[in-house]
Amino acid sequence: MTVTSVQDAGSRPHGLARYRDALSGYAFLAPFLAFYAVFLLYPFGLGLWMSLHDWEIVGDYREFIGLLNYQELWDDPYFWEALKRTLQFAAITAPAATVLGLVLALALNGPLRLHGALRAVFFASNIFSVTVVTLVWSMVLNPDRGLIANGMRAVGLEPIAFLADQDWAMPALVVTTLWWVAGFPMALFLAGLQQIPPEVYEAARLDNASRWAVLRRITLPALARTTLLVVVLQTVMHLQVFGQPLLMTRGGPANSTRPLVQLIYETSFRDWRSGYASTVSVVLFVMMFCVALLQFRLSRQEGD
Amino acid sequence: MNRTFGDRLILVLVIGAAFVWMMPMLWVLSLSLRPNEELVRSTAGILPWPKTLEHFATLLRVSLTPRWLLNSVIVAFGMTALTLLLSSLAGYAFARIDFPGRRAVFLLVMAGLMIPEQAILVPLHAMLADWEMHNTYFSLIAPRLAGPMGVFLMTQFFKAVPRELEEAAELDNASRLKIFWSVMLPLSRPALTTLGIFTFLFAWNDFLWPVVTATQPEMYTLSVGLGSLQGNFAMSEGLGFLMASAVFASAPMVILYVVFQRYIVQGITLTSGK
Amino acid sequence: MADVLLRDVRKRYGAQEVIHGVSLELKHREFIVFVGPSGCGKSTLLRMIAGLEQISDGEILIGGRRVNDTPPGDRGVAMVFQNYALYPHMTAADNMSFGLRNIGTPRAEIEERVAAAARTLQIEHLLKRRPSEMSGGQRQRIAIGRAIVRRPNVFLFDEPLSNLDAALRVQMRVELVQLHQRLDATSIYVTHDQVEAMTMADRIVVFRDGRIEQVGTPLEVYRTPANTFVAGFIGAPKMNLLETRVTAASTGRVEVALPGGRAELAVDGRALASGASVTFGVRPEHLRRTAGEGVFRGQVKALERLGRETLLHVTGTDGASLIATDTGDSPVRIGDTVALALEPGSGRLFGGNGAALPPAAASAA
Ligand SMILES: Nc1ncnc2c1ncn2[C@@H]1O[C@H](COP(=O)(O)OP(=O)(O)OP(=O)(O)O)[C@@H](O)[C@H]1O
Ligand SMILES: [Mg+2]
Repeated sequence: MTVTSVQDAGSRPHGLARYRDALSGYAFLAPFLAFYAVFLLYPFGLGLWMSLHDWEIVGDYREFIGLLNYQELWDDPYFWEALKRTLQFAAITAPAATVLGLVLALALNGPLRLHGALRAVFFASNIFSVTVVTLVWSMVLNPDRGLIANGMRAVGLEPIAFLADQDWAMPALVVTTLWWVAGFPMALFLAGLQQIPPEVYEAARLDNASRWAVLRRITLPALARTTLLVVVLQTVMHLQVFGQPLLMTRGGPANSTRPLVQLIYETSFRDWRSGYASTVSVVLFVMMFCVALLQFRLSRQEGD
Repeated sequence: MNRTFGDRLILVLVIGAAFVWMMPMLWVLSLSLRPNEELVRSTAGILPWPKTLEHFATLLRVSLTPRWLLNSVIVAFGMTALTLLLSSLAGYAFARIDFPGRRAVFLLVMAGLMIPEQAILVPLHAMLADWEMHNTYFSLIAPRLAGPMGVFLMTQFFKAVPRELEEAAELDNASRLKIFWSVMLPLSRPALTTLGIFTFLFAWNDFLWPVVTATQPEMYTLSVGLGSLQGNFAMSEGLGFLMASAVFASAPMVILYVVFQRYIVQGITLTSGK
Repeated sequence: MADVLLRDVRKRYGAQEVIHGVSLELKHREFIVFVGPSGCGKSTLLRMIAGLEQISDGEILIGGRRVNDTPPGDRGVAMVFQNYALYPHMTAADNMSFGLRNIGTPRAEIEERVAAAARTLQIEHLLKRRPSEMSGGQRQRIAIGRAIVRRPNVFLFDEPLSNLDAALRVQMRVELVQLHQRLDATSIYVTHDQVEAMTMADRIVVFRDGRIEQVGTPLEVYRTPANTFVAGFIGAPKMNLLETRVTAASTGRVEVALPGGRAELAVDGRALASGASVTFGVRPEHLRRTAGEGVFRGQVKALERLGRETLLHVTGTDGASLIATDTGDSPVRIGDTVALALEPGSGRLFGGNGAALPPAAASAA
């Protein structure tokens, strides 16, 4: 009797509990997984599939054309122009936001209430939607009655139509974006600064290290990880730039500020060429994937 | 003392920078409070004088703004509540329930972090067009519930809760659902608050997907509606009105920010804490 | 009736076995203490009894019912955790009543039981507070209260006092024993503190590396340790253990050589040849300083004056060292040479494998 029941327990260890756990595990996951599968995985696959088609957004016209879309992309000057503008924008904005965030964090990493208030000010612009930001800055940059124009007139300068000028449009978008997002890297750097143990600074003080030496030898090296994180997050974010050019310059003047996402948007929803738009999406995805992969590799190296 | 002098100098410089930083917003606020006749003459100065609330009144009376506000509220609250629910359920399963395939499913879900919204924008639109679901609250909310970030955060959080608590509850005859609902969820209030605030901010400011799926003005969110105003109104006309709508759209966020600033900062530390 | 029966219980984590076939029978209302060094598997075994850990092999019966596949809540057990594991968001009263609410106990009865437990534990004034508003000792009481309101048949304690300060620990020790005597339940108490084991247990179970080394009352374990491990583990200061050789052996008597003397023990020596290596064990309190010929002679290397008594650390000529007790006002000074006599009837011998040699009386029977 006893012997059989013992063997019984051994051969089927915790069968019932296992079963219950598995069931409740999937039950808890099911709601999220349903949305995940339907609204993320499936569209992602569908996007790859669409990029192989001539696919119209309305109507039923869809024809399998293999890699023709990719071939067309290769020869499409609008694509290359948009790619160039996107990279340009990200290449300026991401480092600038990083540096700006770092400088602000270093200046505001203090114990005073005033420091806290100032941190709140610089972070605050982050909470506005892109439409509010672009509306505000379109007005600020307006050549007739803008804030800057008012100032320039006051000192006797001729106002500039920033957003209508090929040379000024891109920098204007960059400045707008920096104002919008710089608080976020600042907050990340502040979090990084908080993690540096104060004893290190006290030791440096006893060693008579100058402010500059402390910054270079202690603070900046300690922020290496945060910096990597910030640069990657910012790069990925600005490769996706969309609202600012759409709302402030419509991609102009002369397509000089039209990024990839706007190209996707217009190709699909204005020109109704969804297949081709998907192709551009795939390229954008691959770019962002590479950045993320790069970060993974770099942080691995650093971990060793 | 050299050091304190340096500190003071830096402080003075940042205070100056902060004023410049705030200037655009303050100026827009002041414009929104000035009558149009005055604005036609000049937009200079920061003080709203003479002042009026007529633009805000117009905003609420003649435009679709109240409707957009309602839409934004529904979308933001709906998205936040559902995200919290789905993320905490899934996070709990990943953190604490032992089921076959857990690791693989978790990796599959986390892989979703690599897929940007732009990569699925077009197929998503095609899909919802097939279902004839555009211009609904469903289409404004549902696609945003698929993001794995909340699941990731909640998984991390639940992993840090001492196991003994759950074991004590198990000995107390609590079922899985009961443990989740009566023990784990109340414990995760800080994490839920942070995730909730970020989701709410994101939902309120969301632009790319709403502008694609909401094509009828009645279904615009505030963010999209404001974008449409920028195109439709010539800047010389109704300037005060336009500025008032910007102020109006951002006011809820400013209030949220002032109230929950602590959690917002905490949340950022969370994302960088890895 | 809630006797607990373990039959060849095993636990494996993957390929690694951490509990190697434990069999044990606990009687109703017994207070059993599991003791052993860190990592020996005490908690694992306790958690298997609670149902928090699956049983890889063997079976566990509580009150005659096989519980291998019974969920923790249905086993009639309650557990007090080392870190209390109170629900931080609930008041003390809610913490205590959570389990009862889960099984649908009528509200009036819940209130009555909580009130009764609170009275017993003197925590009535804490009922409205949350855990964060209480001291460690108070939290511990709430955790105990949570266990007793469920009226379990078996109480499980996993090092419940180790987070308390020394004074409170002593007090709680006494209170827990008194509580146990009032309740109609079996208690299993895990600790690595052998003082707790000695003072609280009806029976002690000594573990090492996932195996039971000895089961017995505190005095049995103290006086007649089954092997050198138990001898070294139970008692503070430890039992002195000296490697030595048999000089003469007969049916009821064994003589061993010690530095500066010989000790005679009433042990069955039939299996021993003269010259066999054995371990001689003696408690410090059974060694007394003597003016005459002792069993051990050596130099005092250190003194520990504890007030009531003095511990002498004595090192013999061959380097072997042991601890002996002396009076509190002992005149001995470091560097003195002392002779130590063995109290009649004391002393143990352990064979080459570490197991105790059977006493002479046992072999005579
Ligand atoms: N989940 C697990 N996976 C693998 N091994 C484990 C696991 N849990 C415990 N062990 C191992 O089982 C053994 C027994 O652990 P257990 O916690 O029961 O020890 P213990 O006697 O309670 O020690 P302590 O006094 O330190 O609490 C240890 O060697 C431990 O490493
Ligand atoms: Mg333990």
